[in-house]
Amino acid sequence: MTPAERARAYAMPAAILALTAVAALYAAMADGYAPFVLALVALTAVVGVGLNILVGLAGQVSLGHVGFYAIGAYTAAILTLKGIDFWIAFPLAGVIAGAIGFLLALPALRVSGPYLAMVTIAFAFIIQHGATEWRDLTGGANGLMNLKAPVLFGKVFAEREMAVLSVLLAGVSLLFYQRLANSAWGRGMVAVRDAEVAARSVGLNPVIVKTAAFALSAVFAGLAGAIFAPLFMFVAPDSFPFSQSILFLLAVIVGGAGWVFGPVVGAVISVVGPELLSSLAEYRLLFFGGLLLVVLWLAPEGVLGTLAKFVRSTDSRPAEPSGFDVAAFVRPTGESSRLEVSGIGIAFGGIKAATDVSFEALSGKITSVIGPNGAGKTTVLNMVGGFYRPDNGSIRLGGQELAGAPAFEVARAGIARTYQTTKLFATLSVLDNVLIALRRGGLGSMVTDAANAGDRRVAEALLAFVGYRGAIAVAAGDLPHVDSRLVEIARALAMRPRVLLLDEPAAGLMRADKDALSQLLRRIADLGVAVILVEHDMKLVMGISDHVVVLDAGVPIASGTPAAIRHDPKVIKAYLGGEVKARPRAAPWAGSRDPVLVTHKLTAGYGAAPVLEDVTLEVRPGETVAVIGANGAGKSTTMRSVSGLLRPVRGEILLDNRSIARLEAHRIARSGLALVPEGRQVFPELTVYDNLVLGSHSRGGVNTESEIEALLKRFPRLRDRLRGRAGLLSGGEQQMLSIARGLMAKPRIILLDEPSLGLAPAIINELFEILAELRDEGVTILLVDQMAALALAVADRGYVLESGRVVRDGEAAALAQDADLEAAYLGRVEAAQ
Amino acid sequence: MLVTSAIISGLGLGSMYGLIALGFHVTYVVSNTVNFSQGSAMMLGAVLGYTFAVTLGWPLPLAVALSLLLCAMFGLVVERALVRPFAERGSNAWLMATVAGGIVLDNAVLFTFGKEPRSFPSVLAQKPVEIFGAGVYPLQLVIPLVGLGIALILHLVFHRTRLGKALLAVVQNADAARLMGINVRLAVAVSFMISTALAGLAGLLIAPLFNVNSDMGTLFGIKAFAVAILGGITSAWGVMLAGLIYGLVEALVTSFFGSVYTQIVVFSVVILALVVMPNGFFGRAAVNKV
Amino acid sequence: MLVKPRMPKLFRSLLLAGAATLLAATGAAAQETVKLGLVAAMSGQSAKSGEAIVRGLSIAIDEINAKGGVLGKKVELLVRDDESNPAKGVVAARELVQREKVAALFGGLDTPVSIAIVPFVNGAKVPFMGVWAAGTPITRNGAAENYVFRVSAVDEIVDIALVDYAVKKYAVKKPGMILINNPWGESNEKGLKAALEAKKIPYAGVEKFETNDVDVVPQLTRLKQAGADVLFMVANVAPSAQVVKSLDRMGWDVPIVSHWGPAGGRFSELAGPSGAKVHFIQTYSFSGKLAPKGEAVLAALKKKYPEIKSLADVTPAVGIANAYDAMHLTALAIAKAGSAEGPKVREAFYGIDKYDGLIKSYAKPFTPSNHDALGPDDYIFTFFKEGEILPLTN
Repeated sequence: MTPAERARAYAMPAAILALTAVAALYAAMADGYAPFVLALVALTAVVGVGLNILVGLAGQVSLGHVGFYAIGAYTAAILTLKGIDFWIAFPLAGVIAGAIGFLLALPALRVSGPYLAMVTIAFAFIIQHGATEWRDLTGGANGLMNLKAPVLFGKVFAEREMAVLSVLLAGVSLLFYQRLANSAWGRGMVAVRDAEVAARSVGLNPVIVKTAAFALSAVFAGLAGAIFAPLFMFVAPDSFPFSQSILFLLAVIVGGAGWVFGPVVGAVISVVGPELLSSLAEYRLLFFGGLLLVVLWLAPEGVLGTLAKFVRSTDSRPAEPSGFDVAAFVRPTGESSRLEVSGIGIAFGGIKAATDVSFEALSGKITSVIGPNGAGKTTVLNMVGGFYRPDNGSIRLGGQELAGAPAFEVARAGIARTYQTTKLFATLSVLDNVLIALRRGGLGSMVTDAANAGDRRVAEALLAFVGYRGAIAVAAGDLPHVDSRLVEIARALAMRPRVLLLDEPAAGLMRADKDALSQLLRRIADLGVAVILVEHDMKLVMGISDHVVVLDAGVPIASGTPAAIRHDPKVIKAYLGGEVKARPRAAPWAGSRDPVLVTHKLTAGYGAAPVLEDVTLEVRPGETVAVIGANGAGKSTTMRSVSGLLRPVRGEILLDNRSIARLEAHRIARSGLALVPEGRQVFPELTVYDNLVLGSHSRGGVNTESEIEALLKRFPRLRDRLRGRAGLLSGGEQQMLSIARGLMAKPRIILLDEPSLGLAPAIINELFEILAELRDEGVTILLVDQMAALALAVADRGYVLESGRVVRDGEAAALAQDADLEAAYLGRVEAAQ
Repeated sequence: MLVTSAIISGLGLGSMYGLIALGFHVTYVVSNTVNFSQGSAMMLGAVLGYTFAVTLGWPLPLAVALSLLLCAMFGLVVERALVRPFAERGSNAWLMATVAGGIVLDNAVLFTFGKEPRSFPSVLAQKPVEIFGAGVYPLQLVIPLVGLGIALILHLVFHRTRLGKALLAVVQNADAARLMGINVRLAVAVSFMISTALAGLAGLLIAPLFNVNSDMGTLFGIKAFAVAILGGITSAWGVMLAGLIYGLVEALVTSFFGSVYTQIVVFSVVILALVVMPNGFFGRAAVNKV
Repeated sequence: MLVKPRMPKLFRSLLLAGAATLLAATGAAAQETVKLGLVAAMSGQSAKSGEAIVRGLSIAIDEINAKGGVLGKKVELLVRDDESNPAKGVVAARELVQREKVAALFGGLDTPVSIAIVPFVNGAKVPFMGVWAAGTPITRNGAAENYVFRVSAVDEIVDIALVDYAVKKYAVKKPGMILINNPWGESNEKGLKAALEAKKIPYAGVEKFETNDVDVVPQLTRLKQAGADVLFMVANVAPSAQVVKSLDRMGWDVPIVSHWGPAGGRFSELAGPSGAKVHFIQTYSFSGKLAPKGEAVLAALKKKYPEIKSLADVTPAVGIANAYDAMHLTALAIAKAGSAEGPKVREAFYGIDKYDGLIKSYAKPFTPSNHDALGPDDYIFTFFKEGEILPLTN
């Protein structure tokens, strides 16, 4: 640790201790009322710290914590009235509240969001009514009075001593929270919150992590309640109304969830606020409600969260390899890394997604699983990774049977994976994403740091090994696409896997990045890891695979060496569909020169630095225009700006000579511009039919039946699925649906953003054939695709974007021949998205 | 007779819960947010109805129409001021903001309408009619009919009309919905207006059986939220049915086991039901691909 | 009585409240007045009770100040909202005593709030005058030095009176109880059971209901099936009306003997004509022929609070009357003590010989063994007729 880092590590605990000392001193010196209010602030802060674990770390909301507060208070009250010493009752209250929290968490955490909120609300009501009805124990609605004050070393605690005790408890709570947040448990909670699925694949058991968060938060509420009882010398059900739960949660949210001092700030506002307003008597609640709204409006992310925006600085230090031997770290030791998958199959609702799939993945070899979209490749990965339980068959890793084992166990057994859409822990830093995986699910103590200097060195070396050159302190959610792929691989390697599953790692990458990726995968395999790759890029697959398995409709149709597969007629028919190509226009385009769509000096971006600068392009009626460029060059930003999804923009956008630069997306859509967005973005819960109907929404949806019938002729794959939910379609089918939906608008111009992304070669051919047909029928098209050669083949003209600027434009055929084009792809990419 | 009266009481109350819960349903399916001041909106409907019809003596249809309109305006304010500023930033502070909004409205009404509960007369709640030996006000029969009717309308709108589908599309993918020409902000605002108008309607319907005061909605709001969740919040039918079931369980538990344990039993049932059916009675798990 | 004319009042009140905050903040007017505090429910469903107490206290304070105040200083009332939450009540009591240094405190409607405040005032040696909450242990709290006094009903005594009345008037054999599910209901459940036990009368059952319950038919049906011949009812005005309406709907004509809840508002309006069947206990009513004191207070109320137009607006009468008498008794005690110091004032309460009050003529209202100024003889049974509370003669 550098001195600066050490100083930072001790700054927070020191601040907590200083604040506690000052508050305790004040409590000990001041008169009656002030220490009492201070005690209330401290107790609210303690409950807030507990809730902060739940809300700020684990991302769950509870509206029932007053129930645990009441349990703590009643425990202390009942036990001390029975003659048990307060100093025994106090910890017991925490234990009992924690135990009940644990019992409630088991069922409660099966649900989430509003459902969990409801379970906790119900819990609070049950506790309140229970306290009223269990009269023998609780004294009923009129409560328990004449509680005894705690005594320590002969000193009877009056309000001052109680206030000091409350402040000390708050200080200890804050310290604990600070330690917890930095511990592997705290990081694990955040990981589960950010991406539960990915958390399982780094060996975390979300049930345990979330239950721990819930039970811990209950402990703090219980401990605070135990002090509440002797402080007030009285407990009754009315002291714990449901509204108090809301105030507790409010303290956390207003203060800033996830910030160490958030609950303190929130407690001050929610306790001292009403006290300052007390002379308003009957108007107090009215004003307090208004005050809360003002605070929420001014600081929607909580006071601390909003303040932090002004001071946040990012450390841009990249990962340092520091001479650590990554090879020795990653290289599996001991038993063989042979993964044997034999005869696995699974059906969803009677539909067989995979049947009798068998293959072997050997240590040091790359085994690729290919096949058309919807062939069941990801399903197979999910069975191997433990996310689906296969209906039959076995999955053995070095003699250990893993079929049906939960994902976190599979991960701990040595099978790591990455995802089709990257699933990083978005709010954790890049380094922490790797560090949490390094623990392979073992979380250790709740109060020790998640990682020591040695762990950090390993993590940095892994990041350097995969070729990540960005800052290690940056939040993973802010990474550009390429980098998030790399970090995800580094995270998987941190598990020291014997088997590495990769789900379309090259999707959305440019050629140069793909080449780097294939070298990386080869290096990983050479270390002795068994690599299993699902990928559509045939150049990559054929280049690095040792063995290829081909699936179609859930059934393996071929397996063998790349060379054998490449020439297998069954594979060519089902999947490869011959060489990927697109059909150019038969005769050069010649039409009106009056453009349908013009952008003039279009400048746009998401933050301070513009992603697009002075982009000027035009599309004429009936023309097909391609925009090509490297990742991050601004292609998608162009599409989002033109379609109105990104506002505000500078410069001018004209559609049919009408300015649309200041119009919102829905108005632009109604003016006759349809965007087929990147990543299909169909409405997953609606049927295919309804998706199509909505496509015509922008023009009032006339004649939908006959139009849909016409579209189904063009997209025959959709016909069988017409009444099924769109979310259940394969990627290729979703892309077809998305285009069909765009065409339903009968637009003046249709924009397609990365239509080939994640599609199988045969489907890509089909797709580009459809684009060519549309083009030939006179549809005006603006196309962005990372498969630049294909895009230029189908297009009439093209624009080349580089770092947000148009650097070349011209006839598509000419651009396709241009040697300089290469430069745009290798890209001098500073303006990352 | 015990059972009959319990069933009739339960159905009447249950459809009230269902009606308010439909308000939660409407905003949830369109925007994934709910208005935790629904109880206050219900109260507002009753208070405005009383003020127009009784205090000012306006004709009932006018009073009802105006009350519902103003309730809808309240929904618009809630969406604009208490939900949108937070939801658009991905913050869940709208939850707190709507609660605070409810507190402000309740207290503002307390000081303008008055602190005393008032009685809302209705010809439908004066003379009980006898059904299977149990006395029932005609209004108690009207309420379930209105509730079921509105659930039917909502169901038809959401599942049979293009407008309804457009509203459903908003929550699934707001950007894609905008690309379809759907005015997302307007859709969300309208859903909140419908939601509070439904609560206001519930308030107007219940007022003659109950009384009108500034905090009449609080407990209703909470129970209605339970009902919405139990019903699976995404299904109008489910929500209405859950309301009827909730009301029935409440009345039957009271009838057979006494009133002492009603709340404890009912809220325990809520927890158990959600444990067994994490998506509510009629909710459907969303498409979720790894 | 439209909504419109009330708006200026709200604004005026808000302005006043704002000004009060400013004053409090600057700490002006230090001890130039004798400060008295009130901790009561000023918001929520019991807001009306707080308002009534403030009115009763204010009328009395106006009278006292018109005659020069006490100890040569004007009396000033500081009001705090407890939201019916005992914890908030204690915080408010501490603020009034420890920061504002009030000479005495008045309590509100909720028994648990008062019970929660009791240990604190006994420790801080500040007189605490209950004007509403009727829970027995408030005054009989077992403290060696008891600073808690009360001018209000006491549940135990009320319950004996209710049972006596039911026996005399209806020759009750097997009563049922329909009680609000809150501390007040629970306190009376205990009291009624004890009173019935003393008379060896069995009961048909005890049913609870919530303040916001719309339909009480299931509970009442259970009582009916258990053979109840008289109902004892304990609930505030709106829930009491729900009981009457549910009875109407069931078509069950049963005598109801009630605690004073129905007196708290527009019971006739809420319960309809059947409301007249409810016989309820009172400490005071402004209806009928009033004594000169009653007339004077009523006139003062109408003058000070223009929104009071008819007797129906003087609700709840008990809250106003109890608070009025309690204020005068407290002022007498402070004057007699010659000081605002708690222990001296407490002693002085015992020394009050005679006070001609609104509810009655008090003679030796407080003794070290009895801190309740009102006793069994001070209750009257009344019923509502067309919005007016009329006394019943036994």
